[in-house]
Amino acid sequence: MRLELGNILIKDVQFGDVTKVENNTLFVNKEELINLICEDENIKSVEVELAKPGESTRITPVKDVIEPRVKVEGPGGIFPGVLSKVDTVGSGKTHVLKGAAVVTTGKVVGFQEGIVDMTGPGAEYTPFSKLNNVVLVCQPKDGLKQHEHEKALRMAGLKSAAYLGEAGKDVTPDEVKEYESLPLLKSVEKYPNLPKVAYVQMLQSQGLLHDTYVYGVDAKQTLSTLINPTEIMDGAIISGNCVSACDKNTTYHHLNNPIIHDLFEKHGKEVNFVGMIITNENVYLADKERSSNWAAKLSEYLGVDGVVISQEGFGNPDTDLIMNCVKIEKKGIKTVIVTDEYAGRDGASQSLADADSLANAVVTGGNANEVIELPPMDKIIGYTQPVNSIAGGFDGSLKEDGSIVVELQAITGATNELGFNKLTAKGY
Amino acid sequence: MKTLLITNNPLVKEELSEKITVKYYEVDYLEILEVVRDEIHKGSKLLTHPLSGSVKPYETPYKSIIIEEKQGELDMDSLMIIEQSIDTTKKFIKGKEVTEWTSEIKEDFQVIDLSIINNALSSIK
Repeated sequence: MRLELGNILIKDVQFGDVTKVENNTLFVNKEELINLICEDENIKSVEVELAKPGESTRITPVKDVIEPRVKVEGPGGIFPGVLSKVDTVGSGKTHVLKGAAVVTTGKVVGFQEGIVDMTGPGAEYTPFSKLNNVVLVCQPKDGLKQHEHEKALRMAGLKSAAYLGEAGKDVTPDEVKEYESLPLLKSVEKYPNLPKVAYVQMLQSQGLLHDTYVYGVDAKQTLSTLINPTEIMDGAIISGNCVSACDKNTTYHHLNNPIIHDLFEKHGKEVNFVGMIITNENVYLADKERSSNWAAKLSEYLGVDGVVISQEGFGNPDTDLIMNCVKIEKKGIKTVIVTDEYAGRDGASQSLADADSLANAVVTGGNANEVIELPPMDKIIGYTQPVNSIAGGFDGSLKEDGSIVVELQAITGATNELGFNKLTAKGY
Repeated sequence: MKTLLITNNPLVKEELSEKITVKYYEVDYLEILEVVRDEIHKGSKLLTHPLSGSVKPYETPYKSIIIEEKQGELDMDSLMIIEQSIDTTKKFIKGKEVTEWTSEIKEDFQVIDLSIINNALSSIK
């Protein structure tokens, strides 16, 4: 399966009469976008705002971030099983509005979380401060329940990203990158002397505000399975995960999964990247056992020498992570786990809620308990009030002048467990 | 298998009592874990992970856990998980003031806890 990603570099976003990409600027017809979002009867109204790098703007509470993409050649469409038919995606040609994003905000529940500052010290902790963001502030219809509200926001974000992505369909990309996965036996034949490596991606799958969808299927109802990494670049995995801002994987993270990109980068040079397994993180302990058994079984079946395992979320997924690691190691396959830490504000506490001596190669996305002060911003998009009751905030954390003292866990993407950020820790 | 749901979430008691035996306690998050630990010492087995959900232990006051209620030999795996969960919870609540949530936010926490444990219950049944 071979996919060409054509990156159209977006350096600015502006409102305009027609939604289009011209001279690396994304123009957005605001009215058309609002009408599209308001087709959903559960959304009463929506405000569309723009947030650009360097502006004194705070976006909160952020629910999802989505990169606009469009299929140009090949089967299927973006976000298969959700917006497009369930055709298998991941081959042909896809255009990407690189440097642009749709950001959804909304008060699904009262204690919401997720801050993106476009400038200042907080901006350094989130990759989304570097993007030209089209932000949706959605108001649900009166009395809408939490489940429906979350779904309405999720769909508004995906539809908007697909709508903006269409603007890039006939634009010549600034750069084209190719990604190819061969059938397993051919891949093994092609690079017989390189270590065979697979990627095991763990997906959050527990319930309201803690869900992930694969081709539209709720991941908690799936068994661990194989997927082509290029399918994910076409939106086969989307996020319905709104809790734990710092280490949840937004849809943007899935589309741009850096572990996949790095493994492709090293493919044929240092490693033979032969495949990818997705597995869930359910609450029922027997599900954890079953899913990790299957992840280990599939790793063994692929005949790999090593796997990279990435986690999503905090707490009980630590147990899934260690189960996956230990069971795969016991098959004689080396593992590297990618996680983040809740090691206390001084960094001295036990980082994970589970551990094993076989988990001896660990990459961390940083300590989510580290405290940071975010200065006031001139403009707030979304709702400031929830910041007082935000994850990582605490009573009185929102000061009169608008500054906030929070732990890094309040910042969207700060300690991402795919490594899509700058923080880490090194042993000396 | 006799399953038992231990909770301090009034919404779980209200919504799930017809599906499973619910033991409701008016105690805090940490104390619910301790109730479950005591059950494990009597021989019960954990069926759901005590640290379910990504909402942090010092944020949500609610916790629901499903066990297989029985007496007899100690299940070491269950004991390890509950003890690690208690340690993690203590780490999280240490030095943090208890927030007085509004009734709307409390209801939101109850709905999330209900959703998570109800999804687990669907797998168990």
